[in-house]
Amino acid sequence: MFVLSILKDTVAVHPSQFGLPPEQALTNELNKKYANKVLHDVGLCICVFDISEAGEGKVRYGDGFLWYKVVFRMVVFRPFASEVMLAKVKSSDEDGIRLSVGFFDDMYVPLVYLPEPCAFDPNERAHFWLPGSEATSSHELLDSPTVNRMYIDAGEIVRVRVEADEFYDDEPGPPKALEGVQQTGQLENRRSPYTITCSLAEQGLGPVSWWKDAGVEAMDEG
Amino acid sequence: MEVVNQKSALLSNYEVLTLLRELENDHLARTRTALRIKKEEEAAGIARTHAPPEEVLENLRTVEVEAIQHLSAEYQPTSSQSEAGIERLTRSLAAYDLTKAEKLQIVNLAPTEAVELYVIVEELEDRLGGQLDDILTAVRESLTSTPVAERSTEENAVEEIVYQAGEAEDYEGWDANDMVFDDTGEGAGVEGDLDVDDD
Repeated sequence: MFVLSILKDTVAVHPSQFGLPPEQALTNELNKKYANKVLHDVGLCICVFDISEAGEGKVRYGDGFLWYKVVFRMVVFRPFASEVMLAKVKSSDEDGIRLSVGFFDDMYVPLVYLPEPCAFDPNERAHFWLPGSEATSSHELLDSPTVNRMYIDAGEIVRVRVEADEFYDDEPGPPKALEGVQQTGQLENRRSPYTITCSLAEQGLGPVSWWKDAGVEAMDEG
Repeated sequence: MEVVNQKSALLSNYEVLTLLRELENDHLARTRTALRIKKEEEAAGIARTHAPPEEVLENLRTVEVEAIQHLSAEYQPTSSQSEAGIERLTRSLAAYDLTKAEKLQIVNLAPTEAVELYVIVEELEDRLGGQLDDILTAVRESLTSTPVAERSTEENAVEEIVYQAGEAEDYEGWDANDMVFDDTGEGAGVEGDLDVDDD
């Protein structure tokens, strides 16, 4: 799930921080800048792991800051393709399931990656899997007795395989002025910068409880 | 900003959790000292003129707390893992023909059942048909047994409370006492009595 990325940056340390040991002040600055942010094509930064190289702090004309050139290692959340991980079901709708790992929740399971045959139950607002059923259309599946259905409820812990990840770097467009009033806070059609597509369609994936105490025999059946 | 190496190394969940816990403890210790200094100065009637502004790294705190919650949740194996155990596990995994990514996932997920291993390792049957049980045993051995794990999470909870109460010095002593309690193997019911004895 996590990787170490080596990054290089120039950091300014405010004079009020001169009392701290320089590495502590630099780590603070770097954490302030990067922690909990998505770096394009790198991943979600968690925190600074360590500083591998730092130049002499220099004072520029015009401010009292000490400017350091720093090479540091960052703990980054970037699960690789085909990695198996545990996540929690955040919500479900007709288009699929949204997962969360607490600090990151732009993880989606689209319909194609749900175990077959599968249907969405609008009453329960959850997808269910009907193992061993011949039914193909969702109407037939919804006619099935509720007892046999295996629901993927919100809040359940699921084992998922990471299929793909995507980064979006949307630039904010020009500010829209409606009747001379600037519109602010238009966040509706902003894509999240980093999304992970996951799969549940495999033996052993899905809610952890499904596979508890399931032996190899069960594997062969499926 | 420049990315020198996007993926220089892989980290296991346990390593990240340890790092974050260290950060968290550092943070708690620092806020505690700051509070104490402030109180002392107030008591002495010194006005703080040159005090640096209190800096709270909001983003770091957020991701730290949420990641610790996720990584130490009861459905993760991290609570029963230990540094020595993981080291032993990676040593024994070296004997099998596994890729680096597969080994990492075995450490992260600690599969104790065949089904879980099937998901992690591709073409498990063909590659390591007979050694399947050996791997599962190695994983099981690397984990401390479940009842101890449950108790250790309890200990962690206690530790945190002790930390918040601002008695970092007492924490060592507490741990030692707890070990003695562990060895006797008595039920949890007598815990209260033991606490009284300690005092």
